[in-house]
Amino acid sequence: MKPHREDRTVNIILASLCSVSLLMMLLPLSRPIRAVRAFVGHVFEPMMFAGAEGTERLALVPSRARQLIVADIENRSLKDEFARVGLLRAELESLRAENARLSASLGLQLPEGRGAVWARVMERDPLTWYQSVAVDVGRAQGVGLNAAVLAQDEGQLVVIGRIAEVGERTSKVLLVTDEFSSVAAYLSSGTVEGLIQGQGSERLRMNYLHSEAVVVTGDEVRTSATSATFPPGILIGTVAKPYARDPFLTFQSVEIRPAVDPASVKEVMILK
Amino acid sequence: MKYFRMAFVFVLAALAHWWWTTYLSFYGVAPHLLLVMTFVVAARQGPVPAMCCGFAWGLFLDVSSLHLAGSSSMALTIAGYLVGNIRRQVDVSSIAPQCVILVVGTWAYFLFTGLAGLVVLKHFLWPGWAVFLLAPFYNSVLGPVLFWAWDVGVES
Repeated sequence: MKPHREDRTVNIILASLCSVSLLMMLLPLSRPIRAVRAFVGHVFEPMMFAGAEGTERLALVPSRARQLIVADIENRSLKDEFARVGLLRAELESLRAENARLSASLGLQLPEGRGAVWARVMERDPLTWYQSVAVDVGRAQGVGLNAAVLAQDEGQLVVIGRIAEVGERTSKVLLVTDEFSSVAAYLSSGTVEGLIQGQGSERLRMNYLHSEAVVVTGDEVRTSATSATFPPGILIGTVAKPYARDPFLTFQSVEIRPAVDPASVKEVMILK
Repeated sequence: MKYFRMAFVFVLAALAHWWWTTYLSFYGVAPHLLLVMTFVVAARQGPVPAMCCGFAWGLFLDVSSLHLAGSSSMALTIAGYLVGNIRRQVDVSSIAPQCVILVVGTWAYFLFTGLAGLVVLKHFLWPGWAVFLLAPFYNSVLGPVLFWAWDVGVES
């Protein structure tokens, strides 16, 4: 009984669908058929429209992919170039600053009868930051042991240190801030002399000042004529503050602020 | 879920047929994807789904064409009915019967639409010798692939 019912259903569906089709064939211009066709067209047209659009886009995929690859390659090369330009810019800034410093140093007056050679600071060890630096001139450029090493600050020469080790093309500078460094100096407000000594930090200490001497904060400290290394009158720094007097000592001491931070010097002048 | 798959297959088949005949036909010869799909649905699901799908796909073809609206829908409906009933007598799971049914069925489809044109329009709608001779074999090559795709994609 069941198969028979199924067959009947199939036959009814077949007859219905065929009847609709037949009506569409026989009455193509009648209003209901045109309405059905219009409706079916309305349903299917978006599919074809979307399909055509999708096909057009698919056709563009190879060229778009090519453009994307080309753009990616360009992007990579531009990134490389951008990084290179950044390095060049940093180098340019560095050279510009160096140029400014060297231009300013052209107006410097060298101590009488002394020749000089300019050197670039090429190494500064963090462990010996206030002790020594290496410069790129040596015996080949006429640099000698214990030669005075100066820098320029606002148009005048400033003491940096002395040559402690000479190589063929490099030298090591013992900075005035090193604990083993000492320079004979005087205060500009009088003729009180003392001995500048490094402390291993950015500040210096001036010892052996006469106990009765009046020390004024901000006084300039310059190299003394009694210095065996430095020409007289070269600026070292200014008085930062006097230390508390020790009643057991017969002299007083002051703290000196160097005119130039030796840690930031990039070029130095070495006297011959 | 099954009905969603069927709906998806319906839309996909209509789009694929339109795309293939529009962009991949070779001298006007392209496989009749919707006819083959009607056979596949009939062989796998029986006559009722095949007739419904065939009728709807036929409407799609009728809307696409200017000639004789209703002929394709009727032809595909009848194709779904016949193949859906034949599957009780013929093993449609192997490739050889599938190919034979597709070749014969395609020729029958062309003859039916042509005769329908002759009856209604007084003009035999002849698809051309190239299509008449080549399309059935094209369909018979495509058929087993679609049978396999149906088994994997819809019935698995």
